[in-house]
Amino acid sequence: MTKKRMGCFLLIGVLVLFLVSIVIGPIGQALFNLPLPEWLKVPKPHVELPAEIIVPIGHFGGQEFGITNTLLTTWLTMIVLLLIGVLVMRRSKVIPSRFQGLMESAFEWLYNFCKEVAGEKNGRKFFPLITTIVLFVLFNGWLSLLPGFGSIQAHTSEGEVALLRGANTDVNTPLALAFISFAFIWGNGIRTLGWGFFKKFFNIGRFLRGWGKIFTGKVKGGLGDLFFGFIDGAVGFIELISEFFRIISLTFRLFGNMMGGEILVFMMMFLVFVTPIIIPYGLELLFSLIQALIFGFLTLVFATIAATSHEGEGHGAHE
Amino acid sequence: MKPWQVAAGFSGIGFYIAGCIILGILGGRWLDDKLSTDPLWFIIGLVLGFATAALGVYSMLRPLLKNGGKGEDSK
Repeated sequence: MTKKRMGCFLLIGVLVLFLVSIVIGPIGQALFNLPLPEWLKVPKPHVELPAEIIVPIGHFGGQEFGITNTLLTTWLTMIVLLLIGVLVMRRSKVIPSRFQGLMESAFEWLYNFCKEVAGEKNGRKFFPLITTIVLFVLFNGWLSLLPGFGSIQAHTSEGEVALLRGANTDVNTPLALAFISFAFIWGNGIRTLGWGFFKKFFNIGRFLRGWGKIFTGKVKGGLGDLFFGFIDGAVGFIELISEFFRIISLTFRLFGNMMGGEILVFMMMFLVFVTPIIIPYGLELLFSLIQALIFGFLTLVFATIAATSHEGEGHGAHE
Repeated sequence: MKPWQVAAGFSGIGFYIAGCIILGILGGRWLDDKLSTDPLWFIIGLVLGFATAALGVYSMLRPLLKNGGKGEDSK
């Protein structure tokens, strides 16, 4: 049999599987009302937005606290990453094995990327955190595609809940990551520029100079300085607001994409039978990678911008 | 930095614009409730929100506009 013919048969086979899956899935059952066996019928899906508590610890301020299923996944991801790190380091050789080579090339790519964006010195400094964020988000996304996630149930006081669930589908994890990224960006900015880092947010020098001029009798120049100084101050205030909005945008970009992906896969499972789920699964593999890179890359860019002196730029508004 | 890297700074621009307008509206509504001046502060808040959003977008774009879209100064 030629290769072309085999490809044709394979394609036809996949298409038939797709059709069968759709027909015997809930969509087909609803459309054609087929007399299918009981085990092929699926329950109605139930999407839960907040993370479910697996091990309750106690109440605090009227809010129940405990170990949630997303926290368990966070720990699992950390263990997996640690294991990979230990395995690669222990068996590292001068001539790398395939696994070591893969890890080395991934790290090298990220390292070069950091250096390209942030420069030689800052790139070295930013690399550890950026890589941690990228790997954490990536492995979190990929782990939650494994069988067992969402399907293994735990008995709790609130009924049966999924034992494991992608950590970034709980808004608290992306928020925590965004806070870490924000602290890192500001910390680096302050370390590099000192108190000068805050200058762009509280740009009231010209405004104060305007008052000084008015009091010394130079009313015309003073009024001009007062006006432009006010605009400078407003722009600084706006920059401060936009810094805080970065936390929100980082959080909800990651959360929305991960939650959306999970709901898509979840719903597909209830709409079709097995085969067509491969499509959203494949997309999820890609989306996890993209989201991980975007989160890391944005942190890198913001940290680089924060660590770059804004001298001379602040006077550009009215040149 | 390259232009596309500078452009990444605008990735949260949608949240920023929406956030400014929502904050303006909510602040206005809250003041209206407190002072029972409906809809004066609502409109002022809305206008302030729009103005903050527009000014913010302009100030974010300024480094790009200044260098003719070539990113920040190539140091």
